[in-house]
Amino acid sequence: MNDQNSGTLAGFPRPPTTDSAEQSSSPSTRQNSGTLAGFPRPPTTDSAEQSSSPSTRSFGQIRDKIRAAEVLSFEDGVALYQHRNLMELGALANEVRERMHGDRTYFNRNLHINATNVCEASCRFCSFARLQPGDTAAYTMSLDEAWGKLRARVAAGDPITEIHIVNGLHPGLSFDYYTELLAGLKRIQPSIHLKAFTAVEIFYFAKKFGMTIEGVLTALRAAGLDSIPGGGAEIFAPRVRKKICDDKCNADEWLEVHRVAHRMGLRSNCTMLYGHIESAEERVDHMLRLRALQDQTGGFQTFIPLAFHPDNNALMKLPGPTGVEDLRTYAVARLLLHNIPHVKAYWIMLGIKTAQTALWFGADDLDGTVQEERIYHMAGAATPQVMHPTEIVRLIQNAGRTPVERDTLYNVVAEGAALISDKPFRREVRRSLEVVS
Amino acid sequence: MSIEVQGFEATASLPESIGGLDLFALGRRASAARDARVGRRGSFVRARQLLATGAWRGPRDAAEAFIEETDFDLTGGWAAVRSAGVGLFVAATDSPHARAAAQAGLRVLLRLPYRAGEDEPARLERLAALAELPFATWGVMPAPVGEAYGLDTLRLFALCRLALPRVAHLLADVGALGPRLAQMAFGFGADELFAPIVAERALRLGANAHNPSLTRKEAATLIRGAGLLPCERLADGVIEEVTT
Repeated sequence: MNDQNSGTLAGFPRPPTTDSAEQSSSPSTRQNSGTLAGFPRPPTTDSAEQSSSPSTRSFGQIRDKIRAAEVLSFEDGVALYQHRNLMELGALANEVRERMHGDRTYFNRNLHINATNVCEASCRFCSFARLQPGDTAAYTMSLDEAWGKLRARVAAGDPITEIHIVNGLHPGLSFDYYTELLAGLKRIQPSIHLKAFTAVEIFYFAKKFGMTIEGVLTALRAAGLDSIPGGGAEIFAPRVRKKICDDKCNADEWLEVHRVAHRMGLRSNCTMLYGHIESAEERVDHMLRLRALQDQTGGFQTFIPLAFHPDNNALMKLPGPTGVEDLRTYAVARLLLHNIPHVKAYWIMLGIKTAQTALWFGADDLDGTVQEERIYHMAGAATPQVMHPTEIVRLIQNAGRTPVERDTLYNVVAEGAALISDKPFRREVRRSLEVVS
Repeated sequence: MSIEVQGFEATASLPESIGGLDLFALGRRASAARDARVGRRGSFVRARQLLATGAWRGPRDAAEAFIEETDFDLTGGWAAVRSAGVGLFVAATDSPHARAAAQAGLRVLLRLPYRAGEDEPARLERLAALAELPFATWGVMPAPVGEAYGLDTLRLFALCRLALPRVAHLLADVGALGPRLAQMAFGFGADELFAPIVAERALRLGANAHNPSLTRKEAATLIRGAGLLPCERLADGVIEEVTT
């Protein structure tokens, strides 16, 4: 885990290294005004907008920087968060989104397996974890149970391409449980992509089993690991982590796991849990630290802002983020994270209506069919636990976008006529979609 | 069909002027129309509902009393409704009673049903018909039939604001849309939240997951977060800024 590496990784295109901030948390070190290759300057057509915001002038300057393909600074990010005109902000994020992806909007067919919710960590925002195996609602799947989730999908003829595996930090499971979990899934369907174990879990395995991060990843990869999900990042600011998750890996450790994974050729995603006790400055700091690592490694595929759900956890007195706050966060993320290709609207957390709207505020990915998500549903998420591909396609088309089914690594699985789009909704899906917030 | 939009390219008919507008331009125009009509404020009201049984649902000291059309037939007529203190009649856009309610001195709030994926020209036709109703309409509230899509809903809000210049209020139904989308509607011309205002925040879990009630603070937070001045409508038309 102490293996430092800031070089270019084999297999990853190296993005322009224009951000000198890297891992600094000091705003004063985050100045950057370099120009990015590959960002053509579009014509400036949007000059007639009206705004009563006091930050109008700085917003105009930021817009000019973006159109000149300059990298935004910490101060720019904070100013974007403070900019009151959501339509202006959204239009600018959409401009960048369309420059990068056009109308293409991605989704995949995936299955979530949360094999255990027994967890040593006591994150205050979490509604999923149960600290002891005997606690109410604590569960740990046997390997056969977990494999059975995939067997059932295979038997149903469901052409899923990915399994997303995230668990609690179970103190009683052996490392073999995890390697066997992966190996067994691969035996059932060798072509399935296993995106498994957050950086928090991998760091925990290293500590618990006396291994290096590279050693853990090597063993998991040998068992079938293909990439790493982005969870567990929460907010990097020590002030916030101390209050909401002080007994799991810290920001540097989380980033180090991803750095090592990228160096080994594994792709990963990254996340930010927003809408609890963090400030706008801390959100921007978080995104810039991700951007800095991406400048070094190029291994992040997707940034996923995760909306905090306040119900059923120790922070339930907090209101949680509003819809406008969601859209603002997506827009700011798209504008700040020029070097991370995709921004995902995770419909499980956002709700389907907000996720669809986010496709015009910077997001280009809706995640997937999901199936059996437990973590956010235990936090009060009112979304269904599965969304049929037909419904995802319709949602995207209704947003005026072009649906593209992808695999985990964003290779195209199907698009255009190859996508199913005209079948009627299944009755149960239609019912479950009726009201989601 | 040609609808003149007050204060906005008054010589252009609505369909042509909005046909090519993207989401953001539509939102900006609708917000400007809202600002011109009612100011940069978003409101909510503590209301209670007169039911067909004669019972009330909602707080005794509510500032607004309303009756749904479905309850009206069993209440004994307009005089009885008015003497009970009801000031607002809530009905579908094709209500046979709405005109009589307006004539009886009640304000009329019309629910506008819509389905995801409807043609926009067809919607505009319906809005044009609504704009020409021969009685005063106090407010309009989009009401999804079946599942509502986010963008679809927001575009409809903007169209309502632009196509119905004589209607002062455009309400976002928190129960039907969820609090997130209802809040977003303020960026597309809405000016009031339609939700039960309660004293304590609901824990939205399990069977209560879709509880649409809001506390004053939650309502104010949603409105303020949308960039508007949060206001509470009190009795007798008084509007008070919420500072909490």
